[in-house]
Order: sequence, then C-alpha cells, then structure tokens
Amino acid sequence: MPRYFFNVRHRPGPAGLARDPESEELADANAAREYALSEARAMIARDRLEMIRDWMVCTFEITEEASRHVLTVPFSDTVPGHEED
Amino acid sequence: MSQPQQSTVRNRLLKALTPSDFALLQPHLELVATELRQPLIKPNEPVKQLYFPEVGFSSITTQGSGGKVEVCIIGREGLVGGIPLLLGSDRTPHDHFVQGPGEMLAISSQAFCGAVGQSASLHKLLLRFTQVQYVQTAQTAFVNASYQIEVRLARWLLMCHDRLDGDELRLTHEFLSMMLGTQRTSATLAVQALEGHRFIKAQRGRVTILNREALENLADDGYGLPETEYARLIEGA
Repeated sequence: MPRYFFNVRHRPGPAGLARDPESEELADANAAREYALSEARAMIARDRLEMIRDWMVCTFEITEEASRHVLTVPFSDTVPGHEED
Repeated sequence: MSQPQQSTVRNRLLKALTPSDFALLQPHLELVATELRQPLIKPNEPVKQLYFPEVGFSSITTQGSGGKVEVCIIGREGLVGGIPLLLGSDRTPHDHFVQGPGEMLAISSQAFCGAVGQSASLHKLLLRFTQVQYVQTAQTAFVNASYQIEVRLARWLLMCHDRLDGDELRLTHEFLSMMLGTQRTSATLAVQALEGHRFIKAQRGRVTILNREALENLADDGYGLPETEYARLIEGA
C-alpha cells in the first residue's frame, strides 16, 4: 500500500506548511481523502492551537512517497454543502 | 549480584528514605534494564512488581475508545505502581509502560508491602509521593482543559526533560499525539510552532530541547505545581 503524507497548509509561504514526517499507509487516494476528512473533523471538534485561528482556512496538501502531490483537501470540505462542485 | 547502595542510587525517592527504611527495601531491589514501550504494569491485572526508575521514565495512560491518553509521568523522582498497593487495591485500570528506556530497580509486591507494613515512616513518605502523583494527574486535567496544544506540548517536554539525561528525546508525532490527547496532525503543528520559535529542534523520530527557559515561559502555570509539591513533601524544601 502507498504511504501518504498529510501536510497541512495553514498560511501562505514556506513557514505556513507543516510537513508530516511520518505518513499513513492507505489503500489509495480515495482512502487518503477519507483519512484527511476524518482527521480534519476531529481537529476542528477538539484540538485548539494558538497558531491556528481558523481551521476552515487550513488545507491538507497530501503527497506520496517521492513528495509527489496527490490531493488537496480543504478542512472546509468537512462541512456538508460547503464543497465546490 | 551486589545490592544497590543508598549512596549510589539515582532514584530520588530512594535517596530521600531514612537509612533504616532503605535497608528494609534494599535486599529486595533488583536492577532491570528497560526498553522503550516495555509494559511495566498492565491494566486490571494484579501488580506483581513495582519499579523505582534509575534511568528513563514511565508513562501512565488511560484507554478510551479513541485511543490512549497520558495521565501521568514517573521518572527517577518516584515509584511506578505504588498507588494501587498503597491505597488498598492490588491492581489499576491504567497502563504503565516505559517511555524513556534505561534501568529501574524492581521490587516484588510482596516484599514491598512487607517493608511498608514494618515502617510507619516508609509508609508516610510513599503516601506523600502518592499525593504528588495525584497533584500531577490533576495538573494534567487542568492543562488539558485550559491550555492550547503548544502550551501542553511545552509542559510535557519539560516534564520529560526533568527525567532525562541530556536534551534529546526519542519520539514520533503519533506517540506524542497520544501523550497530549490530540490528533497526530495537531501534534505535528504544535511541534512546528515550537520549532519555529527555536525552542526545540525536531528531527525524524527525535526532539531536542534547545531553550528550556523559553519552554517554561510558554508553559506558564501549566508547569511547576507538582514539582514544587515534590520538593516540599519529599525533599523538605
């Protein structure tokens, strides 16, 4: 199974990306999206960080092993009807 | 094998005992090497052995449906497994495992209870340490309820630093998220925040403390109360 790195973009610029050093082993990009949404939901519900004023402006920038960009999942996609078609 | 001497043990609780109380425990102490994540006391099983950490430390966690969350840390200032036995139980619902590898002085529950039964002063000192552990656990509840994750991380790193030799801690973000009771990604964000301020340096699987004073300022009153209580109750400060 491929390894997916769930980096978080929380503001513009190089310091605005928190790189995931550890990754998750998941079946495919679809499973990676599901993981990102579930992680984002739990973070929005429970986790409070000084550096994050608004979770809704955060985005998972998911990469595969060779830093290849796979998928972008905005935290706002956790809200039904908020998704752009 | 030669028995540990009070003058050379590194465990601060053993050092704080009167020589006669130490002598009650001494014949039963056995030095054992401990590995990262090694279980020391399993939840809901009779406690067979207790441990006085010499090098390294232990984490105590509670298990919920969402995974483990840490409630307490015990290093060379203390005793792992004392609470249930001193408070009239033979087991605990909490998991106790090795968080920092090293070595600990192990003692069987039977020998421990025998020694405690023979000496009111030994019993009293161990109950005082139990009180410190209660204060630390209450502090964990306070910090988790009141502070944001950067502050919780700073407090946790300080508590580990107190129990480490050196400044480097072996640690994955997944493990850290368990210790702090957060999602893994939030632990990564908090590490990045502290690293951005140059308080710590994070490498794969490792965190190095660079600026302890800055971490203490960040942790504010989240850190220090159990440490002060320990000094007052155990070391007579």
